[in-house]
Amino acid sequence: MDETRALTVARAAVEAARAAGAGDGEATVTVAQRFSCEARDRTVSKLEQSTAVSLSVRIFIDGRKASFSTSDLAPENIRDAMARVVAQARFVQIDPHAGLPDECGSIDVAALELFDDALRARTDDARIADALGLERAIRDADPRILNSGGSHYADAIVTAALANSRGFSGVHTGTRASLSTSPVAIDGRDKRTASYGTAARALGDLEPVATVASIAVRRTTDLFGARKPPTKRLPVIFERDVAASVLHDVFAALNAANVANGNSWLIDRVGERVGSALVSIIDDGTLARGLGTLPFDGEGSPTRRTVVFDQGVLRTFLYDTYHARRLGARTTGNASAGGIGPNNFFLQSGSQSLADLIAATEEGVLVLDTIGFATEHATGSYSRGARGFFIEGGELAYPIDECTIAATFPQMLAGIDAVANDLRFDGTVVSPSFRVAEMTISGN
Amino acid sequence: MLDRQTFDRLLSLALAHGGDFADVFCERRTSVGFRLMRGAIHETSLGITVGTGIRVLCGESAGYAYSDDLSFEALERAARTASLIARTAPSGTAGRIAVAPREIHFPYDTRHEIARDASIYVRMLERADTAARAFDPRIVAVNATVTDEVQEVWIASSDGALVHDRRPLVSFGVQVVSNTNGERGNGFHGDGGRTSLAFYDVTTPETIAREAARRAIVNLEAIPAPAGEMEMIVGAGGGGVLLHEAVGHGLESDFNREGISLYSGRVGERVASELVTIFDDGNLDEERGSIGVDDEGIPGQHKVLVERGILRGYMQDRQNARLMNVTSTGSGRRQSFRVMPQPRMCNTHMPSGESSVDEIIASTKRGIYAKSFAGGQVEISKGDFVFMVAEGYLVENGRVTAAVKNATIVGNGPDAMTKVVAVGNDARLSSRHYTCGKGGQYVPVGVGMPTVKISSITVGGTADG
Repeated sequence: MDETRALTVARAAVEAARAAGAGDGEATVTVAQRFSCEARDRTVSKLEQSTAVSLSVRIFIDGRKASFSTSDLAPENIRDAMARVVAQARFVQIDPHAGLPDECGSIDVAALELFDDALRARTDDARIADALGLERAIRDADPRILNSGGSHYADAIVTAALANSRGFSGVHTGTRASLSTSPVAIDGRDKRTASYGTAARALGDLEPVATVASIAVRRTTDLFGARKPPTKRLPVIFERDVAASVLHDVFAALNAANVANGNSWLIDRVGERVGSALVSIIDDGTLARGLGTLPFDGEGSPTRRTVVFDQGVLRTFLYDTYHARRLGARTTGNASAGGIGPNNFFLQSGSQSLADLIAATEEGVLVLDTIGFATEHATGSYSRGARGFFIEGGELAYPIDECTIAATFPQMLAGIDAVANDLRFDGTVVSPSFRVAEMTISGN
Repeated sequence: MLDRQTFDRLLSLALAHGGDFADVFCERRTSVGFRLMRGAIHETSLGITVGTGIRVLCGESAGYAYSDDLSFEALERAARTASLIARTAPSGTAGRIAVAPREIHFPYDTRHEIARDASIYVRMLERADTAARAFDPRIVAVNATVTDEVQEVWIASSDGALVHDRRPLVSFGVQVVSNTNGERGNGFHGDGGRTSLAFYDVTTPETIAREAARRAIVNLEAIPAPAGEMEMIVGAGGGGVLLHEAVGHGLESDFNREGISLYSGRVGERVASELVTIFDDGNLDEERGSIGVDDEGIPGQHKVLVERGILRGYMQDRQNARLMNVTSTGSGRRQSFRVMPQPRMCNTHMPSGESSVDEIIASTKRGIYAKSFAGGQVEISKGDFVFMVAEGYLVENGRVTAAVKNATIVGNGPDAMTKVVAVGNDARLSSRHYTCGKGGQYVPVGVGMPTVKISSITVGGTADG
């Protein structure tokens, strides 16, 4: 299904919604051509290839909101479903803030470089060769890599067409490719896994196979002999991938839906200094080639660059139209899949290398990986299982695991006293490595 | 959805280049949801998913393609794409295929229908809202959801079986926030299963809402969790999340056939204290994780994973079972037709032991009593896990003292299982609201266990130890 056809289906769905009794309607048609390949040892263990088409519709009847999603694009299915959704919507409370955006629009798609022709031209053999090559590279890199959870190459061409009953329609097509691997290292009875990956819109922006392999292998073998650290308060350095996971939690607290529902530790703090002067956090939907870059967001508002934290001062939350209206603000172009999501959300780089940060830490912890996740964001508490290294005298002294690191987000953001220069835009939420002056380490 | 001749034809096409096995998974899923916020229905949704996935297994390799479009041309294209795997990994060929229906026992009523009268769902949510607010004046927010779903699947495989399952799934969850003097507490409770709305005549919306509200009040009064090593009591029912994460994932056959899990090659060995027995059941009546057949057409069944501390077996899907020369245990599950099945848990639980809960508490000098968990995660090769405690208490000198908040438990699965020093006589399944994620696929599961004591675990809190 090409862009024109996707737009036609979206417009027809809006018409069907109106015909069923909806005052306003918005339809998004997504067409995704996906390829993925997994290699284990010398064989292709998985090969998947499909084109998926899906439709999602939001309808509004006098401030009553309902939504519908389907993979069945048959007009009679859509017509029947619309009648059902309209009937369901009658039970919804009127909400004066619900409705389509007042202003829709799109920024210039061409400047965003969403599409890589080289990817479309790729043969299946070349894609499979990447997965096999990555798998070979991790096994050749270290004799202790005796197994793997698979080496993957995947790519996708995704078209999204959005139409609404106020006359907006827009469409964009973007590409995405990724390489990832999970080596398994075995040393006697000790078995370790880790993983590393790279992703980009253009094939040429992916880190090379050899780089992905060597980082993944180092992460796997580095932790042999890991033990519990002592329980005490120490500086903690977050390496960039795990730093990005901290930023995911920061995003959740900035999400206006969480703010509106009282589920954010940042409520009532706009204009205040929350972080240290090193904390400048940006959400940018316009960054050329960014994985989170789009000409318009999930409800047809143009994307933009938003300074969220400016040298520690909280400037704004991140909004879609509905929550902007509820909280008396303007959308920041962050509507995504029926909720609020990041465009390219990142902490601005510092000037030092990660090695500089380690060297400047007398005693502390370098965290390479965390497990666990937050289920609520109101209290701003942070506690995760962690793995990494104990630092003594500015050097990595010994690997650690089976411990937790804990603090509150206000303490962590205010405590960021060094930011590294290793930011890479290989996801939609990314961060350079950074150091927090003090956290509670729980081990022995 | 598709006729028998179409299944036969697609399977033949899928095996045109060779291969050991092929299957066609055809799905139709309808779900309706309502959400209540700030005292009124805030939104409603309807989802209808239809599609077919075609898979070819060839030695250790698998080829997969799917189609949302059920026209024969689209399905034929998917079958040909899936068949390409056999070119990269040639293997045997199958003869002519003619599928025939198989009879199945269903641990639930397959006739469940989503209510056409939406007011039924609305009324349930309103009752929950009223009950939660009436529980305590410090309750400041109630967020409740109800979803009702029917997933219908038809699975045809090259061994000649054609099976049909129709899986109901209702769920009702209430999230409550309490607040006093700027302090906040959160509480969640949910229940449901592969059952009908009549379930809520017994387990009423009020009962579920009051439990969520009670937890929100407990957490409001909770003190920060301590940090460091201490004893742990795992609560009956919801504590089963511990089995699911700390042991269950490590016993899924893909991680073991591939040699990634720390339990690889250890069937028959001691992997836990002799007090520990763990089952996974696919056929318990109306549980969330129950299935008439799994997503490869194999009936749901009872599996003994660990018996008195000895590892007895893994949870198998078809491909891994064949490669390991055993039979499938009916553990091949998938989120939808868009993804291949994986070996997964159904309802993972532990039977009762000998100790009373009072004895277990009385024997604990200094520890944490985790009555329920908000979630957890495990690393498969070494077994390291983490859990977030949803409702936890301090135990000091044999007595439950204060509620604690924001406790995270970290440990190692095999290590924790050898440190099980007491198993309670109060085994039960948890209320039904758990969903398990693996490799980006989410499926409903059940968990359960009696009260269990673990002699030492690391608690990650912020208060001084």
